Amino acid sequence: MFQKFENTLLSSIQSPKQRKIILFATLLAFILSILMIAPTKMVLAKMLPGKNNDTFTIYATLPIGSAMSQTKEVTECIVEHIQKESEVVDMEVFLGLGSPLDFAGLIKGSHFKNSENVAEVVLNLTKKHNRVEPSYLMVQRMRPIIVQNCASIYPNTVVSFVEPPAGPPVLAAIVAEIYGNDPEGIRELASTVSDVFKKTEGLVDVDIMQDHIYDTFEIIVDSTKVTRSGVSLKQLNDILYLAFEGMQIAVKNSDIYNDQIPIYLSLSEASKKFTTKDIRALEIKLSSLKLMNKMGMMIPLTELSKIILKKSNPMIMSKNLHQMTNVMAETDMVSQVYPLMEARDTIIQTFSDRYEIKKTGLFNLQLTEKSSQKVYDLVWDGEMEVTLDTFVELGAAFIAALVLIFLLMVIYYKSYTISGIILLGSFLSIIGVIVGHWIMNIFTTDTFFLTATSLIGFIALIGISSRNSLLLIDFTKSLMLEKGMHKAEAIAYATATRAKPIFLTATAIILASTLLAGDAVFGGLGVSLIFGTIAAVVASLIIVPVLLNMSDLESHFHFHEKKAVSILEP
Amino acid sequence: MNRHKPYEPKDFAGKLAKAFLRSPLTVVLGVFLLAIGYLSLMVMPREENPQMVVSGSTVIVALPGASAAEIQKVIVEPLERKLKEVKGVEHIHGRAMDNVGIVNAAFFIGEEKEGSNLKVYDKIMQNSDMFPKGAMNPIIKPLDIDVDIPVVSVAFYANDKNMSKTELYDKVKDIQQQINGLSNVAVTELKGGNRHQFNIEVDLHKLSGYNISMGQIVQAVQSLSYSVPAIKNSTKDNQIVMFGVKNAIETEKDIGNIIVSEYMGSPIYLRQIAEVQGSYDIQNFKSVLISMRDENGTFTPLTDQVTLTVSKLQGTNAVIIAEAVKTELESHKEFLAKNGISYVITRNDGERANEAVNELVFHLLLSIAIIAVLLVFVLGWRESLIVTFTVPAILAITLFVAYLSGQTINRITLFAFLLSLGLLVDAAIIVIENIHRHYHSIESQHENVDDLMIKATDEIGPPTNIATLAIIMTMVPMAFVGQMMGQFMKPIPANVPIALIASLFVAYIFTPYLAVRMLKKPDHTKKGGH
Repeated sequence: MFQKFENTLLSSIQSPKQRKIILFATLLAFILSILMIAPTKMVLAKMLPGKNNDTFTIYATLPIGSAMSQTKEVTECIVEHIQKESEVVDMEVFLGLGSPLDFAGLIKGSHFKNSENVAEVVLNLTKKHNRVEPSYLMVQRMRPIIVQNCASIYPNTVVSFVEPPAGPPVLAAIVAEIYGNDPEGIRELASTVSDVFKKTEGLVDVDIMQDHIYDTFEIIVDSTKVTRSGVSLKQLNDILYLAFEGMQIAVKNSDIYNDQIPIYLSLSEASKKFTTKDIRALEIKLSSLKLMNKMGMMIPLTELSKIILKKSNPMIMSKNLHQMTNVMAETDMVSQVYPLMEARDTIIQTFSDRYEIKKTGLFNLQLTEKSSQKVYDLVWDGEMEVTLDTFVELGAAFIAALVLIFLLMVIYYKSYTISGIILLGSFLSIIGVIVGHWIMNIFTTDTFFLTATSLIGFIALIGISSRNSLLLIDFTKSLMLEKGMHKAEAIAYATATRAKPIFLTATAIILASTLLAGDAVFGGLGVSLIFGTIAAVVASLIIVPVLLNMSDLESHFHFHEKKAVSILEP
Repeated sequence: MNRHKPYEPKDFAGKLAKAFLRSPLTVVLGVFLLAIGYLSLMVMPREENPQMVVSGSTVIVALPGASAAEIQKVIVEPLERKLKEVKGVEHIHGRAMDNVGIVNAAFFIGEEKEGSNLKVYDKIMQNSDMFPKGAMNPIIKPLDIDVDIPVVSVAFYANDKNMSKTELYDKVKDIQQQINGLSNVAVTELKGGNRHQFNIEVDLHKLSGYNISMGQIVQAVQSLSYSVPAIKNSTKDNQIVMFGVKNAIETEKDIGNIIVSEYMGSPIYLRQIAEVQGSYDIQNFKSVLISMRDENGTFTPLTDQVTLTVSKLQGTNAVIIAEAVKTELESHKEFLAKNGISYVITRNDGERANEAVNELVFHLLLSIAIIAVLLVFVLGWRESLIVTFTVPAILAITLFVAYLSGQTINRITLFAFLLSLGLLVDAAIIVIENIHRHYHSIESQHENVDDLMIKATDEIGPPTNIATLAIIMTMVPMAFVGQMMGQFMKPIPANVPIALIASLFVAYIFTPYLAVRMLKKPDHTKKGGH
C-alpha cells in the first residue's frame, strides 16, 4: 500500500501539470472555506455555545414602585407554567430578594436585589444524563409562553431567563451603553434603542437598566409654623415614618430565642391604607396624625405642611465617570454577532432623521441630535465585547505562535524556504477546521458555532501539522545526505515511510478528540482537532512534498554540509 | 553474534535511553511517578469551573434626604474621581439614587484580591473628608467569589402548614450554627423565614379619638423596656451581693398593659388603641417559597421555606465540604422530623464538580483504551501495551506539577488533558515505531538488542524534540491571553506544555526500557530465510 502511494506521489510531484492541479485545488479549497465564514455565513461564530445545565433561574422584574402582591401574582403565574414541565424536580421562589448567588447572578447584581418589585425563581431539573431535552432548548421553548402570559399581567414587566454560563459570565449577550450629558436625552435614546432590539429577530429579554418614572408626593413643611408650634422637623419625619413604614422602637432580650426580640410599632394594616392615590386621601390620613409639642399640645400634621404631586427621581448611572444607561438583550440560541449587526443597521437607517450618525471604532456609533446638537455615544459591551477581545487576543496568540514556529524552524534548518513550506503546510489545516464546523452544523439539530475553543484547537493544530512536516523533511534530508538519493525519490520515499507514524499519531489525536466533540464548550476544539488533523495529514503527505520538490532542496542541504554531499552525489 | 562497539548516542534522547535501559531504578521511578500522580488526583481540590481571580469593591454612602441629582454631585462624582486614582481599576460604575450613592470599582481580571481590596479601602479612608456633612460613614464591601458564591444550599420547609412562621426559622438557625462549625465552611446564611417580633399595630381612628400622638406611644414603650446589667455591691463583711431589675416586658400582655396617656383622669392602656401581638416581622416583604414533586409526581403547592446557604474558604475542596454538610444534616434528621420539618438540597456544587470530574476521568480512560486498541491492530499488542503505559505516567507527572503549582482539578484542566492526550502519545508512538522498524529490518538483525534500542531512540530524537518544541511554542502565546476568557482557559497553556515535556522524557526513558523486556525479536531463521 505504501509502495503504491510512493509511486503515485513520485510521478505526481515530478509532473508539472499535476503539481499545478494540486496547488490550484488547494488554493481553491482555501478560498472556499474562508468564504464559508465571511459573506455566506454558512459557519457562524460565537464566543461559547450554550451548555446543558441541571438548573436555571428566571428573573422577574416589575416596574419600580410595584407592590409585593403584584410581584407575587407574576411569579405565581410563572410557577404555574413551570409546574406543567415534566423534567423539573423542584423550584424555589425568592420574593423581594435574590436567590443564593451564582456566577451569572454575581455579574447581573442579583445580590443587591432588595425591593418589592423583584423576584427570582430557581428551577432544578432532572440530571442531564437522564434528560433528552437540553436545558437551553427547554429555555427556548418555555420563554415565549411564559413571557407572553406572565409578563403581560402588568405593563413594563421584564421576565428573563438566566442560564449558568458555559464560560465566563457577562452582564448580557448584547449590551448597548448609551453615553451622553443629558439624562433626558439618554433616556429617550435608550428607549428607542430598546424598541429596535425588541423588533430584531433573535433578541429576547430586552431590558433597559433604568428606573421608571412614577408619581410621588412631596410634603412641603412650613418651617415658620414648625418653629412656632414648638415641634421639630425630626419629630415630624419620625412620626410619618413610624406611622406608615413602622419602626422597631425597642428590643427585648430573650434567652429562649436566637435573636433579640424587637418591639415594632406602626399603624395597623387597615388604617394605614389610603383610599385612593391622590393628594386628598393623603391629607385625610395626615390630619389624623398629631405631633405633641413641649407644652403637651397636639398639632395635626396637616397644620404644618402641604402636599404636592411630583415625579420620582430616577437613578443616575455612570460608567468610568460618564453618565450612561444600559440597554440589554439576550440572544435566543443564536450568536450575538449577527442580531447585533442587524440592530446596528436598523439604528443607522431609522435614526438618521433625528440624529447625525457617525461610526466610531469597530461597531460603535456616535449620534448627534440634529435639533439640539447634543452628542450621544453608543458603545457595545457585554458578550460582544468579550467575544471581540477574546478573538482578537486569540488571533494575536495565533500569529505569535506562527512567528515562534517559523523562528524555531529557521534556527533548526537555517533556511527560510523550508520553514516557509512547513508554516504554509500547517496553515492549510484551517480548511479542515472550517469545513468540519460546516459538516457538524449540518448534522446537529441546533447551530454548531465556530467558538473560542475552535480557535484554541486551531492554534494547537499548527504545532501538530508542523510536526508532521518536520518528521518528513528530516527523513528526506537524511536520505539525501546519507543514502545519496535524488530529491524527488527521497521525498517520495520519505513521505511513504513516514506516512505510517503520521497516520498513527493523527488517528490517536482524532480518537482522543471524539470525546471532546460531544461537549458543549469544548465541542469546537474537538471538531477543530478532528477535521483539522485530517486536513493536516493531506497537507503534509501531498502538498508539502509538492512544495518541497519545487524548492531548491539541494542547495539548502548543501548549505551547511557541503562536504558530505559532494561525496555522495552521483 | 557480532561484537560491536557500544553505540554512542548523540542526542539526549539516546543518552536518556542508555542511562535507564539497564538501571534498576527505572522500575522504582515508574512506580513512584504513578503513585504521586494518583495521590495528586485524590488530594487536589475539585471544582466545576476554574477559579477566576475577580476583584472589586463596592462603596456605599448614604446621605438621607438628598435627591438623586444631589447625590450624583456630592457623593458619586467625587468618589468616582478618587477611585480612578487607584491602580488596576478597569471600570468604575456609579449609581446615584435618592438618599444613597453606590460606586463600584471593578479591577482588571487577574488583579490580586487582597491587595485590590486594601487599595480601595485605603483610598476611601485617606479621603474620608471629601464626603459632605450629614453623610453616613461609607460602607466598603469587597467582592469575594469564594465567600459570596455558596457551594451548597438547603431548603427547609414545614410538613405542617400551620407551623408558626418563626418556628421554622428558629429551628433552622440552630442547625446553621452546627453547619458553620464544620471545617473550611466560610459563611452560612439564611434566606427567607421570619423572626420573632412584638407588633404594636395602632388604629388610626382610636389614636385621633383619644387625642394621642405616636410619639407618646414610643416614649411609653421605651421607658419600660430599658434594662441595665446586674448591680454588684458588697456587705460590710465583704460578701458580694448582686441584684438586678427584672424586665418589665416579658409577654405581649405586658406591652398591652403599658399606660400611654391619661384621659379625663383614667389611664389609657396601649391595648385600647392598638393590637399587640407576639408574632413575626410583618414589615418584612421578603419571602422564600418552594414547590417540588411529591411521591405521586405532582407538584406540591408553594410553601414557605428557609434556605440555608453554605460557602467555602478559598482553595478548599467543595466535594468534601458538600459531603460534610450532607452528613451533618443526616444527623439532624431525627430532630427535624420530630419538629415536623423536612429539607431538600437545592444546590450541591460539590457533587456537580465531582460528577463532572469523574465523567471526564472516565472519558480520559476511554480515550486511552481506544488508542490502545488502535495500536494493537497497527503495531501489535506488546507495542500497544508499552505506549498505553506511558500515558498514565505522563498524566501523573502533569497532575503532580499542577498540584505543586496550586491548581485545582476542574473541567478545563481535564479538557487540557484530553487535548494533550492526542499529542502526548505521539512521542512514544514515534519511538516505538522506529524501534519496531529497526527490530524487523534485516540489516540490524545481528546487532545487540540494547544498542538497537538506543540507536532507534537516538535517531528520531532531534526531530521529535523540535516537533514537540513546536507544539509547546503554539501554546505559549495562549498564556498571555487576558480577560475573562484567558483566565478561564489558563489551565490549557499551563498544563499542555508540561504534559508534552513529560511525554518526551517518558518516551525516551520507559519506551526502550519496556521494549527491551517485552518485545520478542522476530524469528531470524524464518525472516532471514529469504
